[in-house]
Amino acid sequence: MSDFTYFAQVLVSGLGTGCIYGLIGIGFCVIYNASGIVNFAQGAFVMLGGMITQVALTRLGLPLPIAAIIAILLVAISGTVLERVVVRPLWDRNATMFVMILATLAAQIVVERATLLAVGDQPRTLPVFTDLPPLKFGGVAVSLQLIWILVTSCLIVAGLAVFFQKTKTGKAMRACAIDREAAALQGIPVKRMLALSFALSAGLGALAGVLITPTQYTAFNVGVPFAISGFIAAIVGGFGKPSGAFLGGLLLGVVQAAAIAGFGSGLKNVAALSMLLIFLFLRPGGIVGASK
Amino acid sequence: MTLPNTTSTERAGLLLRAWPLQLLPWAVSAAIVGYAFIVGGYVATVIAFALVYVVFVTGLNLFMGFANQVSFGQNAFAGLGGYASAILTTTYNWPVLPAMIAGIVLAVVIALIIGYPTLRLKGHYLAMATLAIGLITYEIAVEWQSMTQGYLGISGIPPLGIGSYEIISDRGQLAILSIVALLAVFIAARIKSSRMGRAFLALGASENAALALGINVSRTKLIAFLTAAAFAALAGALFVHVVGYVSPEVFGLHMVILGFTMLYVGGIGSIAGPLIGALLISLLPEVLRGFKDYQDLFYGTALILLLIYAPRGLAAFFERRERTGSAS
Repeated sequence: MSDFTYFAQVLVSGLGTGCIYGLIGIGFCVIYNASGIVNFAQGAFVMLGGMITQVALTRLGLPLPIAAIIAILLVAISGTVLERVVVRPLWDRNATMFVMILATLAAQIVVERATLLAVGDQPRTLPVFTDLPPLKFGGVAVSLQLIWILVTSCLIVAGLAVFFQKTKTGKAMRACAIDREAAALQGIPVKRMLALSFALSAGLGALAGVLITPTQYTAFNVGVPFAISGFIAAIVGGFGKPSGAFLGGLLLGVVQAAAIAGFGSGLKNVAALSMLLIFLFLRPGGIVGASK
Repeated sequence: MTLPNTTSTERAGLLLRAWPLQLLPWAVSAAIVGYAFIVGGYVATVIAFALVYVVFVTGLNLFMGFANQVSFGQNAFAGLGGYASAILTTTYNWPVLPAMIAGIVLAVVIALIIGYPTLRLKGHYLAMATLAIGLITYEIAVEWQSMTQGYLGISGIPPLGIGSYEIISDRGQLAILSIVALLAVFIAARIKSSRMGRAFLALGASENAALALGINVSRTKLIAFLTAAAFAALAGALFVHVVGYVSPEVFGLHMVILGFTMLYVGGIGSIAGPLIGALLISLLPEVLRGFKDYQDLFYGTALILLLIYAPRGLAAFFERRERTGSAS
């Protein structure tokens, strides 16, 4: 394999995981825009998406598409549960940002441990969606799962753009992002938008989890690294901009793939985390300026 | 502190009634440790862990309770202190005390390098950056197998002791850890009433006001961070020598949530809070049978409930309000 095809291969696999990070990053943005909250339990949705699909597939014997849809719906519901049980009471008490972060992080741990008790600590994986040999473009192999990921992600991003630009609900959510009080005065049910944003964000996370699990694996503790990757994607894209988060995710995916190619897969998370720190440190002005 | 609309005799009466309540956490803590000392064995081991956590949580309290800063990565410094001490004593045959000190120094130096750029961040960015620091440390402990032996961990770490004198008995360990924990709490109390401590509190109340008062905000933050890191590293080093074994899981995210639960049970910002919080939370799994598997699940749930319904923890009962409006 020539250097060029190797490079292209790394790029392609990076774009695949990048899409996933992008979806998770969009999940962060959706909640942040509706509420100013950064949900540190975002990774739990990703883990649950893959895990519930796997359980529905193996234990209940459901076909993959149905298992995946059930998983995404269940996780979306669990998102609203999180909002109602953890976030809303703190929100009503005007909790500080730090308390909100700690509470959602604690929720992440609760979900993790409950999953550990329910299904054990063995990593699980899903079958690929379409079991055919990879396509060849020159010397570069592109697996069909990767195409599933790329196509689905692009459709979702386009769908979200339409949702936020054209539908009344989407516009209402954007209004909340711009000015919550003004939105409330216009008769927009701000709290319902908050619940909706958690459902949407959780569903996106679950979808990301379902898409990525066939190429990697899922286990009770994969959530936090995924959440951090999504967070990086959101930061790189300028926090709060869904399309920016998607591009940020692609960038992170490619950088991470390059790091894996260079240093081995053990340092995958270290590469992502280092990118987070480097990005935070080197762009303090632009980034800190956007923080609340 | 002045109480509005009270005469001096009423005020004295309030103080008198407040005193026994303020002493309560100390009395309960002394009773718990004393009981463990008498019973010995397994209970003594449990309380020994609790005392190690007292040191960790006291550091956390300095940084977060007093200075009102955010760090989800204090486990990184506990891990650094613990691993450094473990590796120096096992691989390089250092004596325990110098190894522990080296571990603490290493952690503080790394905290200085990390803290300088990190503490310029605010809000969510600071929270996520510190969380990342904890995770990077965990990943390095897993991956750097030639040094840390990865998931297997390092066993056969010598117990606490000075020179040829080793503290092996449960009661001996309990005694030395009680002294160390009490010293840590005492130092925290001294810091709180010192010039630096008042700077921490001013910073915690309002960064802009502190700046206006002539406090060097970034330096104060860094000092609070380094102090907390030193406490965490000491706790980590104590832990590995008390248990005799270390693995990456010991200093994982679990430690962060456990530390916060203890801090919030005891009462964030109070002096006795870390002590009573760590002791009570450590005793819980022993009181409730078959609780072990559900530990983290319980701690996480308890933490969420505390944050919502009792954000001041037990300190709300035993400590006078020192600052008006500190309940936020």
